[in-house]
Amino acid sequence: MAAKDLVTSGNTVIGPSILINGKLTGDEDLTVRGRVEGELSLTKTLIVEPSGVVKANVTVKNAVVSGVVVGNIQATESVELTQEGRMVGDIRAPRVIIIDGASFRGRVDMGELPPGRSLPERTTPRAQLRPTVRSLPAPPPRPAAAAARPGNTGATVPARKPGGMPGIVRAETARPAPPAPPAPPVVAAGAKKKVVLKKKK
Amino acid sequence: MANTVIGSSIVIDGEISGDEDLVIQGTVKGKISLRESLFVEGSGVVEADIETQNVEIAGRVTGNIQATDKVELKADCRVVGDVKAPRILIADGASFKGNVDMDVKER
Repeated sequence: MAAKDLVTSGNTVIGPSILINGKLTGDEDLTVRGRVEGELSLTKTLIVEPSGVVKANVTVKNAVVSGVVVGNIQATESVELTQEGRMVGDIRAPRVIIIDGASFRGRVDMGELPPGRSLPERTTPRAQLRPTVRSLPAPPPRPAAAAARPGNTGATVPARKPGGMPGIVRAETARPAPPAPPAPPVVAAGAKKKVVLKKKK
Repeated sequence: MANTVIGSSIVIDGEISGDEDLVIQGTVKGKISLRESLFVEGSGVVEADIETQNVEIAGRVTGNIQATDKVELKADCRVVGDVKAPRILIADGASFKGNVDMDVKER
């Protein structure tokens, strides 16, 4: 009996020949090797082993289904259907994993959380780049226009239009800037690179 | 055989049946029927009618207990309800209120 008590000090296990019919709630991991019918809500992980059958509406943090589940699963973290998992019902969880070999019929709702979780990584760099793009919209058109003039009229152009001189001078100083970005296509050059992209558009 | 354990933070409201040993550290309300042994540990609370072969109670049980073999009330247990079994053991320190029926036929 002492040995038995030691074994039982772990988490909750529903053995293969056990049938629970009713409402089951708890704050610890639950392993089901038998049958649970009714309603099941945990604040931790539900593990349905290959011999386990759950016919219940399930509310948990994580669920790993290797057995049979008939009913809806709502998880605050993840639901995983393993190779041996069979399920009929709807899954609602931010992370849903279905392994090859699993059988599943029902709806999956990953909610609005995944984009909110993954997008900040993409949107924050965009947001940082936008201000730098806004600060430099004026210069880009000038080098483009200036580049067209000397190409058409040759070297005498600067002498004919003194009023245009400052513009051309600016264009010359601005000219080296556009070729620079392509040379170092590193993250550091991201801001200049963005300017180039803006020009093309 | 794999042991079934109802952990200390688990609450079951309903019916449990099976053919294997069951250890209760949490709370069970409703009905328990087993063909093997039931262990209600110190942290266990059972508000249910129990039908098993053996019962060992160290926690709290409210309900009628019927065993085909033995009921053991350990020290520090608190049991309220009728107990019916061929062998009934009540340890020193156990708290019990109810009828005892040691059915002679079962022997």
